[in-house]
Amino acid sequence: MIKSENLTYQYKKQSEIKFPDFEYPQGEQALILGESGCGKTTLLHLLSGLLKPSKGSVTINNTGLNSLSGSNMDSFRGANIGIIFQTPHFIEALSVKENLQMAQTLAGHVKDKKAIESILTELGIGHKLNSSVKNLSQGEKQRVTIARALVNQPKLILADEPTSALDDKNCQAVIQMLKDMAAKNNATLLIVTHDNRLNDSFTQKLHLS
Amino acid sequence: MNLFKLSWKNIKYRPLGSGLSILLLAAGISIILVTILTTRQLDDKFKKNVENVDFVVGAKGSRLQLLLCNIFQVDNPTGNIRYAKANAIKMHPLVEMAIPLSIGDNYQTYRIVGTTEDYITLFNGKFQKGEVWTAPMQAVIGGGIKEKFDLKIGDTFAGGHGLGESTHSHDDVLYKVVGILEKNNTVLDNLLLTSLESVWVVHAGESHKAKGSLEVKSLDDLDSLAKANMMTLEEFQAQNAKEAAEEKEHAHEKHDHEHHDHDHAHEHKIVNYDSLLKTISPLDREITGMLVKVKEGSAKAKLSVSATINTYEGMMAADVAIEMQLLKELMSPATGVLEMLAYVIMIIAAISMFVAMFNSLKDRQYEIALMRVMGSSSGKVFASILLEGIYLALLGFTAGWLLSHIGMQIFSGYLSEAYHYDFSGWIFIKEELYILIGALVIGVVAALFPAYKAYRTDISETLSK
Repeated sequence: MIKSENLTYQYKKQSEIKFPDFEYPQGEQALILGESGCGKTTLLHLLSGLLKPSKGSVTINNTGLNSLSGSNMDSFRGANIGIIFQTPHFIEALSVKENLQMAQTLAGHVKDKKAIESILTELGIGHKLNSSVKNLSQGEKQRVTIARALVNQPKLILADEPTSALDDKNCQAVIQMLKDMAAKNNATLLIVTHDNRLNDSFTQKLHLS
Repeated sequence: MNLFKLSWKNIKYRPLGSGLSILLLAAGISIILVTILTTRQLDDKFKKNVENVDFVVGAKGSRLQLLLCNIFQVDNPTGNIRYAKANAIKMHPLVEMAIPLSIGDNYQTYRIVGTTEDYITLFNGKFQKGEVWTAPMQAVIGGGIKEKFDLKIGDTFAGGHGLGESTHSHDDVLYKVVGILEKNNTVLDNLLLTSLESVWVVHAGESHKAKGSLEVKSLDDLDSLAKANMMTLEEFQAQNAKEAAEEKEHAHEKHDHEHHDHDHAHEHKIVNYDSLLKTISPLDREITGMLVKVKEGSAKAKLSVSATINTYEGMMAADVAIEMQLLKELMSPATGVLEMLAYVIMIIAAISMFVAMFNSLKDRQYEIALMRVMGSSSGKVFASILLEGIYLALLGFTAGWLLSHIGMQIFSGYLSEAYHYDFSGWIFIKEELYILIGALVIGVVAALFPAYKAYRTDISETLSK
């Protein structure tokens, strides 16, 4: 489903960084582990097409990201990849519901209020539907970003340190949710992290050095 | 959730920054619009009021003042000229029309103008009620006067001396309304017109008092009938004072005494204005100006007529076309300064809009990266920021447009009181469309650079921060 071959990225004035090859089938859930500064976020950006590799290639569902350019890359990403970031960010002028609607329309889907309601309910924040995103707690915010990443039922979910800002209780809850939701949609889930609390939850692990 | 909604929500989310931009733009636009609306309406009135008049003849003094006083009814007269003398210009073969005007009294600060029926014809005045005067002390009032004071046919009023708030009124002689004109957006609207003779009669006493003695020059010429009906000036004034007093009294008990009132009037000795008039020497029959139209209107004819007038002692002819040009030149720096000010405010508005959007974009870099992650192309991001500029421009224009028209409507009340010129806020001009386009250009230009910055956002770098 996702395949990385000979992936290399050249930083502007620094040395280049080389990532190990890997390939995961549809529905696989894996951790990509590594210390700070080893290029975890860079790898995630390469996998999602936010950065272009200097060498090598990423293939998702038989589509080579190198072959996509400009707005094609943007719409491919919107339609196929859900991304969760370390710190939750939103379009602040919009409510929870509107942020999710934005994700739907930008990905080229029609607005589907039912899907939004059901995913928020599944994540236990159904009552926050019309709240302003500013008034959410940290845990709630992270759940909304998960909802936003999953609302279009992407085939690939990439998460960048999704638990680093959460306490133990929230950490376990969020990871469980991510796993459950991914499994339900049969989506491939890749989590880039250095958080050892997640070690026990995954069998597939890739270490970066 | 489309881009239009997103941009709209983003503007609403930052009320201070957006509000300031909108306010400044609205201020600039309303100043421009009010200036245009005022000058446009003034121009319109000016044009309507000077149509068909080539010269204003009057006492020597400021030509512009002569024009302002006798055509636009705003300035004071330059002085008096003898009617008989001025009337001689009618004999000139190239003069098509000459209308005398006698200005100097007012009713509640609105001018009473002694003239001839031609004056009404000159401005295409049409009667909504009644007809033109047939005897002295009868008046025809403009449509605006009727609305302001609710005067009806048959009502009487006293003229006040002078053109401003009067210190004393001629309440010994009352005018009677015999005709009401339709409003037609000319000076007629706010005037009370009467015959020249009325004005002379009203002022008869004064000119004699001023001279210290009662001079009756041509009494010998009067026929016996006239002599029999003749009252001395003192008698006449006493009679009028009495009538005025009774009028007041009757006004209190009008309801049950209407019949009595009627009969009562017949008991009076009828004031014979004709004979009174005869006591006023032709030398005392004065006017403040005369409107002259030249036949064919060729340059040569005008030259000939004005040359003739200028030979009259103490008189001059003001060429309307030249003075109008002068008036425009006098006014243009004032409107120019206002317009300049408005443009400066607009530029400040554009800068403020730019700063507001630029600042908000700094905070929103992550949001923009997020939009890209969610599948938005950079073109869409560019468009959404541009759209914000357009929204701000539209809001600014709408606010400024409303402000200028409502303000104009409120201001027109003051203008009408101060200058007796009626303005309206509910006039719409095609320049408004150009201003709308201008506002949109400002919005787009102010948003262009922020939009470009957003377009060029390095998503990966922003998201790694």
